[in-house]
Amino acid sequence: MSTTLNPCKHLSDYKLRYGVKGFNLSQKWVKSGPYGKTQMEVSKSEIPRCSFCSGYEGRLYICLICSSMSCSLSFESNHALLHTQTQIGHEIAVDLQRSELYCFACADQVYDPDFDRAVMCEQILGLGNGNLDGIRSNGKRKRLSFEVGFNSDFKNLKRVSGGGGEWDHGRRISKSCFPVGLRGLNNLGNTCFMNSVLQALLHAPPFRNHFLSGRHNRDSCRKTSAGRLCLSCDIDIIFSAVFSGDRAPYSPAQFLYSWWRLSENLACYEQQDAHEFFMSVLDRIHEKEGKTRNTNKDNGDCHCVAHRAFSGLLRSDVTCTTCGFTSTTYDPCVDISLDFNTTVDQFAANKAQKSTETGVSTLTSCLDLFTRPEKLGSDQKLYCQNCQERHESVKQMSIRRLPLVLCLHVKRFEHSLARKASRKIDRHLQFPFSLDMTPYVSSSIVRKRFGNRIFAFEGDESEISTNFEVFAVITHSGMLESGHYMTYLRLNEQWYKCDDAWITEVDDEVVRASQIYLVFYVQKPNSHKTGEDVGCHLRSSVSSDSFVSIAGCC
Amino acid sequence: MRASIKRPPTPDAEDEDQDREPTLPEIINIKLIESGEKERLKELLRERLIECGWKDEMKSLCRSFTRKKGRSNVTVDDLVHLITPKGRAAVPDSVKAELLQRIRSFLQSAAL
Repeated sequence: MSTTLNPCKHLSDYKLRYGVKGFNLSQKWVKSGPYGKTQMEVSKSEIPRCSFCSGYEGRLYICLICSSMSCSLSFESNHALLHTQTQIGHEIAVDLQRSELYCFACADQVYDPDFDRAVMCEQILGLGNGNLDGIRSNGKRKRLSFEVGFNSDFKNLKRVSGGGGEWDHGRRISKSCFPVGLRGLNNLGNTCFMNSVLQALLHAPPFRNHFLSGRHNRDSCRKTSAGRLCLSCDIDIIFSAVFSGDRAPYSPAQFLYSWWRLSENLACYEQQDAHEFFMSVLDRIHEKEGKTRNTNKDNGDCHCVAHRAFSGLLRSDVTCTTCGFTSTTYDPCVDISLDFNTTVDQFAANKAQKSTETGVSTLTSCLDLFTRPEKLGSDQKLYCQNCQERHESVKQMSIRRLPLVLCLHVKRFEHSLARKASRKIDRHLQFPFSLDMTPYVSSSIVRKRFGNRIFAFEGDESEISTNFEVFAVITHSGMLESGHYMTYLRLNEQWYKCDDAWITEVDDEVVRASQIYLVFYVQKPNSHKTGEDVGCHLRSSVSSDSFVSIAGCC
Repeated sequence: MRASIKRPPTPDAEDEDQDREPTLPEIINIKLIESGEKERLKELLRERLIECGWKDEMKSLCRSFTRKKGRSNVTVDDLVHLITPKGRAAVPDSVKAELLQRIRSFLQSAAL
């Protein structure tokens, strides 16, 4: 993502001579089209035509110096080129349909932050003024302030600060022994949904660091001493047990009991959904911890370990298809649920990038689908503040703030209200071990909406880490009612299969071929230190000597 | 030679220009734009072309071309000329049919 595109000499010359006057003049042409597209309209009564041939087809350019229009259809019919050849010095123009700068001499698109700012401000503010008659109150401008404050918007896209220590890639242990913290969990009666999630949580870096560094002290826990149930205490017990070095399978009975008591409606021996369990555990941890820490409503500022690790912020933009006005809301989330991208790809056979054959879906295509603009049905017309009426709208999701640990939930269980039946989608989903979330963050998504632009960022974008690395995958095999959950953990670049009490080393291919249900990625710090061999020592930010006795390691 | 005041005025140069007389495609185009239907059709087309993978296909064509020529040697015009014929040919028939149907029903409702 290059934000420093050097202008061609024609553009620099133009700016030297005319400054931003021409850009500001072009603001009067800016019209907000439906669906929020930035368009230009020179005359309200006539359609734009080329001054050479009166044609209206192809790409139309309006010269920034003389405001004459020219078209470009093909090599043979290029009146844009003709214009710059007949009018010396007229080199910079605006592409009418895209509101982007074009250089006739270079025959190429050029970029200028002042131009982008002029056009975008006009579009955004223009919506506040409305293309309608009537006087707009100041109240409307306020609502748009978050959009206009673009620079601060991006500045605030800070990297989420972690809870405890860092994700340590540096450990390299001999293959003959398992890493610390790998211990089977006994199935206590259809509790594989619980075991699989516990395994993932046990190795989620912020979680692991929080508990292993003694941040939750059972002795000083208010809940426990008051005789109340504290799920975090029970989790702490599990951490102690699992990281003790004892390899015999452990039974998390205490935890199960506590969870039952706290989620009475789910207490039974029937198979539960791992994703629902995951959410309820985070909820319980937050309830117990959050209240004792602070009363911030915004989960993003909540300091409980669950939210510090998993909480992100989703942005939802709803655009009116009639006037282009966009209304934005932010919602916190602890995971992202993805629908399968099942649209048939007619070109897949030729591609080697996303799918290797028709019918293979990928996690990234599901993320594409998640952030793709979705036209809301005509039965879901939303009230547009600009038009003051109900109109059809388009909704687009994006990620405003990435969590430290990204949990992606694949919606395999389809519940159809019409047929009153549920079914499981068995389709295999390819997923990457390294995931770059850049295309799905709000800054990328929103920026694309305005066409090809560059911004002069004030914030330091390199602080933001959008690179994620997988560390746990929960798979579901079998049928809807009677299936089995397992977790694959990636420790020191080796995959381990955790099937209740049995832990085995497996190859990458096995994991890739599995039917993923929940995938856990952790943010990879930008300054990635290459591994140092520090043996089997357990590292944590706060030194804690409570229980580290590593049995059997080199 | 006496100039007759009754002589009809000299026709302007523009009158010879055949674009003065709007052709049917032009009329249709103007009607589509005025009613906003053209914009809606464009959006629909964009949506369909993304769904069927056409956009990704064109993107990868552009990428491989850019890789071969070098990033600083490629212009927008180059890319447009590269993918225009291929793009036009690659539009699925179903998409063409759908758009044509929409235009037809628009014309019927606009009583042309």
